[in-house]
Amino acid sequence: MIEVKKISKTYGKGDNAFRVLDNINFTVPDGASVAILGKSGSGKSTLMHVMSGLDKPDSGEIIIDGKNILQLNQKDIDKFRSTKMSFIFQSFFVQAKENCYDNVSLPLEIADVAPSRRKSKIETALKAVDLLDKIKSRAKDLSGGQKQRLAVARAIVNSPQVLFADEPTGNLDSVTGGKVEDLLFDYNKKNNVTLIVVTHDAELADRCDMQIHIKDGKIDSIREMKK
Amino acid sequence: MKLRDVTIRAGRSLKQAKARTLLTSLAIGVGAFTITLSLAAGVGGRAYTDEIVNANTNVKELSVTKSPPKSQQGPQKYTGNASGVSGGLFSGELLDQADIDKILKLDGVVSVSPNYNPQVKYVTRSDQDKYVATISTFSPSVTLKFAAGSVNGDLASNEIILTEEYVKALGFSSSQDAIGKTVNIVADKLSSPVTAPENNTFVYTVKGVSSKSGLAFRAQSSLLISNSSAKTLYDYINLGTRSYGNYIVASVETTSASQAQKVKDTLTGMGYLAQTAADVLGVINTFINVLQGVLLGFGALAVLTSVFGIINTQYISVLERTQQIGLMKALGMRRRDVGRLFKLEAAWIGLLGGSIGTGLAVILGTIANPIISKALDIGNISLIVFTPMNIAVVIVGLVIVSVSSGILPARKAAKLNPIEALRTE
Repeated sequence: MIEVKKISKTYGKGDNAFRVLDNINFTVPDGASVAILGKSGSGKSTLMHVMSGLDKPDSGEIIIDGKNILQLNQKDIDKFRSTKMSFIFQSFFVQAKENCYDNVSLPLEIADVAPSRRKSKIETALKAVDLLDKIKSRAKDLSGGQKQRLAVARAIVNSPQVLFADEPTGNLDSVTGGKVEDLLFDYNKKNNVTLIVVTHDAELADRCDMQIHIKDGKIDSIREMKK
Repeated sequence: MKLRDVTIRAGRSLKQAKARTLLTSLAIGVGAFTITLSLAAGVGGRAYTDEIVNANTNVKELSVTKSPPKSQQGPQKYTGNASGVSGGLFSGELLDQADIDKILKLDGVVSVSPNYNPQVKYVTRSDQDKYVATISTFSPSVTLKFAAGSVNGDLASNEIILTEEYVKALGFSSSQDAIGKTVNIVADKLSSPVTAPENNTFVYTVKGVSSKSGLAFRAQSSLLISNSSAKTLYDYINLGTRSYGNYIVASVETTSASQAQKVKDTLTGMGYLAQTAADVLGVINTFINVLQGVLLGFGALAVLTSVFGIINTQYISVLERTQQIGLMKALGMRRRDVGRLFKLEAAWIGLLGGSIGTGLAVILGTIANPIISKALDIGNISLIVFTPMNIAVVIVGLVIVSVSSGILPARKAAKLNPIEALRTE
């Protein structure tokens, strides 16, 4: 369970102060899929950064598994991110010159997974995104959709509890984007992994269990989707 | 993140920028090359002088002169013993028989023999041309390389050792042909009146022919006769002149090397200038060390230049890989590990540059060694000597220098804000 309590954050000072997040409160049950929606500049990306410990709010609490991650020191936050969270970005951020194996291996290395246990995990993850045949290919030789699937493999290889996706289909056409969406929701349902998607794609948001609309740093509405 | 994984990733990043890595390493390689060669030349040079001094001097021997007068302003006081022999070249006092007797009485002194160096007119043979020659004293403790003949112990009073050059000049068919034949040395009696010059011919039997050797430089141009023959010649030439019985240098033989040092100290106290074999070696080695220091300085300068190269390359690398660093930090990579990644990349560059530089130095040195030895005519002595220790020190040193150069860029990478780094626009 992720509890977001009274999160506020301001950029700048004095007259230039800009309140990017203003008293945000909500709770995400384990295994849920959540869409955070809003126009660009509404603060939805900042909210995701705060929830993953990449950014610090001015006040409030982020409680994951009963622990307020904002009170952890840097080392513990890093450990938390490497073992319990993972990320998918709009621009993929796969390492173009590395092959698929090394790309997927990175989170395992960061999380200190023993080298002997890496290979099977990497192969499982690549198989899940249907890229096992590209294991030796360099990432730059992949198509856009394949790159994002590689990013999904990298995100799921270390079995995270929470998967953050920032506009995961923003750079993809609807067919390849649809494939990536299917992968994410399948993984979410099968493994009971919490999926938090930042998007302004209404169709993608409609597939989520919960929609949180952000407007000018405040929660505009929270909708539970009935399935 | 484990050090092993960081090291592998660092190596892989460098492989992905091969040209840049190689060029940066080459800058370090120039430094490594110069430093390795200068160290090797130092080792080789010192070993060579060591051999030369051991071959040409006796550790039990001292060479003694009178101390030059304390430096003083203005004209020097007349002491009645100033040199009249070499004029401007040598203006110190000379040793006389009284000095020699005094030195002979010291503890541990076996013998004192003045260096006669008789100034003869010419050397010749019947029906041959006349040649100018320098005569030196033969010393059994000095290593000679013989082209023909040999000497056991000391030379007899009428024996001489020629050099290969004189063998040809004096019309012998070969070095072997000269052995047992006689040569004539003609000397002027200096005290004879100008109107009735007097000279004498001294006849010597050729006992051996010395050939050029990398070590025996003393024997390369002089004809060698025994100390007693030299005295006979000297007495004939100088008797009755003012310089008779005065010597610039005397060789003092002592019972042992350590005794030589003690005698030296005593002689210094008595106002003489004494040099042991170790002193001679020290003087030559100081010269080599200075030369080596200059070379090392150039090497250090090259390394300093390459330091800026590494810093620059690594800064550019950090800028280029902003997104990669951001991603790694977002995935939970610790600041320390991000810093390490870049420091290890610098370490790889240092290792590569150090290996290239020392490797080239070893190859070039090995090829050049026989060429240098041939050009300097020193036989098969190596002037460039590589020791594994020196090579290891150079490589390890450069890795440390490289890592230090990588500190600033690594810190920049570690401090990078992942949110900024991952901003797509």
